[in-house]
Amino acid sequence: MHPATSPTANTPATRAHRTPFGRRRLLRGIAATAVVPLVLGTAACGDDAASSDPDAPVTIEFFWWGGESRAALTEQALDLYEDKNPNVTINPTWQAFTGYYDKLATISAGGNAPDIFQIDDNGLAEYAGRNVTLDLTPFVSSGDIDLSNHPESLTQYGQIDGKQVAVAAGENTPAMVYDKTKITELGLPVPETGWTYDEFVTWSAQVTEAAGDGYWGAMDPSADYKALWLWLRSQGKEFYDGPQLAFTEADLTEWFQFWLDAREAGATPPADVVHEAVGGGVSDQLVVTGKGATSFMWSNQLSELGKSTESELGMVAYPGDPKGQWARASLYWAGSRSTEHPEVVADVIDFLANDPEAAQILGVDRGLPSNLDNRETVQAGLDDPYMTATVEFENALIPQMGPAPAPPPQGHGPLRSTLTTVAESVTYGQASPADAAAEFFRQAEATLE
Amino acid sequence: MAMTTKPAPATTSTTTPARSGARRGSAPGASRRHGEGLAGYVFLSPWLLGLMAITAFPMLFSLYLSFTNYDILSSWDFVEWVGFENYWDLFVNDQTFRHSAQVTLIFAFVAVPLKLAAALSVALLLNRESRGVGLFRSLFYLPSLLGGSVALALIWRAMFSGDGAFNDFLGLFGIPGQPWVNDPDWALETLMVLAIWQFGAPMVIFLAGLKQVPTELYEAASVDGAGKIRQFFNVTLPMLSPVIFFNLVLETINGFQGFTAAFVISNGTGGPVDSTMLYTLYLYTKGFTEFQMGYASALAWVFLIAIGLITVLFFSTGRFWVHYSDGDND
Repeated sequence: MHPATSPTANTPATRAHRTPFGRRRLLRGIAATAVVPLVLGTAACGDDAASSDPDAPVTIEFFWWGGESRAALTEQALDLYEDKNPNVTINPTWQAFTGYYDKLATISAGGNAPDIFQIDDNGLAEYAGRNVTLDLTPFVSSGDIDLSNHPESLTQYGQIDGKQVAVAAGENTPAMVYDKTKITELGLPVPETGWTYDEFVTWSAQVTEAAGDGYWGAMDPSADYKALWLWLRSQGKEFYDGPQLAFTEADLTEWFQFWLDAREAGATPPADVVHEAVGGGVSDQLVVTGKGATSFMWSNQLSELGKSTESELGMVAYPGDPKGQWARASLYWAGSRSTEHPEVVADVIDFLANDPEAAQILGVDRGLPSNLDNRETVQAGLDDPYMTATVEFENALIPQMGPAPAPPPQGHGPLRSTLTTVAESVTYGQASPADAAAEFFRQAEATLE
Repeated sequence: MAMTTKPAPATTSTTTPARSGARRGSAPGASRRHGEGLAGYVFLSPWLLGLMAITAFPMLFSLYLSFTNYDILSSWDFVEWVGFENYWDLFVNDQTFRHSAQVTLIFAFVAVPLKLAAALSVALLLNRESRGVGLFRSLFYLPSLLGGSVALALIWRAMFSGDGAFNDFLGLFGIPGQPWVNDPDWALETLMVLAIWQFGAPMVIFLAGLKQVPTELYEAASVDGAGKIRQFFNVTLPMLSPVIFFNLVLETINGFQGFTAAFVISNGTGGPVDSTMLYTLYLYTKGFTEFQMGYASALAWVFLIAIGLITVLFFSTGRFWVHYSDGDND
């Protein structure tokens, strides 16, 4: 970088140095003194015995991802906990989703995992399977963490290998968000829950046709794991069976082919427009950027999407049989196995999951409250119409939902990237659906060991 | 972990290649100089300690890790020695490794020569004593000051997207736009343009080199009837060759280490369809998103050796075209 630095291949030595003994010893001494503390520093941190005095001052590190509004709500709830438990200090840290997992991995590797951290089903198996998370099972059986009022499916969604490794912070379900304003302008009906995929594609093509240049009826979700998952479930199939894939190469080929045909029919945008939204960020979605009438999202994101666009938005289930939907833990609270205060960690998690006041503060920012009593009171007190819509949508859908699957296994994160890459090789016309599907399975074999 | 080698601060600022001439015998004053040497090491010790603690130790540690299955999250009890398994996987089974090495080679060997050409051309234009030339030197150097910054990459992504400013600009001339960064056929080229645009550092070094060329040589050449172009090829280039060599080695190493722009522009994915999957980005993905730190360490060491080999190659070919005016080129 700097012009005054020279490359590693420095001036080749032209003179053989005779290293006198004294200097070598000096260097060795320096090396040793430099290395010893480092070696000691990397030694694993032992589990200190927890302090027995319940009123001793305790500090808890607390880490989550999200936006400004989530941060304000979360900090308010944590302040409430501190008021109720004066001996506990909670240090909140938060950041945007991008880079969150990188940071969490790095600090966990350094043995400094935060005492409590937010995680989702994409990371849960990775962390629980590597024993980073605190086993909450004893606290659940002792009632310190009370899950009796949580839906069974949500509780199970936080269990891996029979252990409760995390507690659901809220419930959401996949949802297709549509631009009500634009669709009404075009004089077309808005989508409905229960449309078949073919009906949806036909309708999307009509939107594209009516809207003219630079606007399309639907996002192409072929690279989106959750859309594929729901498509499989709506046919009675599954994405995972334990640590293995539960669908076949033929299924995936059909999936890619279906969206390729949809694009031919004019339902979805060209590859480069699709690519802009593929990252999944709210601000990149087609309904926000004004390039498409529908986006495949999660139900608790409606409010955030609504804030990013002038249009009025609406929400329905993904196309196909609604049994493809399930009540999913939108996010979890997990504790760190290396925490020095496991009881306090459990108590804070219980507070966030069950305390009525905390629930009022947190609202439905992380999805519907897990505690069913709180869910009712929170719903009654909502003033954000989009949040109300989220709740109504989800409550209406619950009776039609299918059973919740197990949380995705280890390797799910990398596999999502693989799906994106192979799906885009189809949309960009670099590979046929069959070749792309074969490539996905080839890589999945190595990833899901 | 050692991502890549940081260039060590130079003890001398010239890169003199090894002279195969006679070596001087050990001087009689060697023992006196020994004392000075020791003092030197004492004075160096703060830096040496730093080198040990933050460069040498992590590097050696990553070498050790590259022979293990270390994943960043598991505790040390689970770390197993796997011998050359990571390296074997890498060379035999890993298609993305091959692909990312290819992308990186294309990136470096296209962007670096063009960047040097741009730097030299602008340096030639600015190598004059007219009013306002200082301003232009500063202006051309500005992009390099921004460095590999995230903000710059974000601006680049916004400018070179389907509905970005660059396509609007092309539209003025009736040229149809491209989705540049969102098109696998153009995304890497867009990154190259960004790298080439930051030619300030080699430009400044070229300027300094141009100032070193003795004017007598030009005078002599013009007396012999050489025109401007002939003078450039027969005087300027040979006299500048050590500086060109220096810039070439440095910029190649920099080119290989490119990361930020690709990371930001592709949202950390190397997309679309892995078209911007630079080697460093792949290494990062393996280590920090797939948690395969042992494997990532193996990738890092293969990378280090590859850059080393390319540098050695440059030095070995340098004798044929780098001309040092102060000595006999045997």
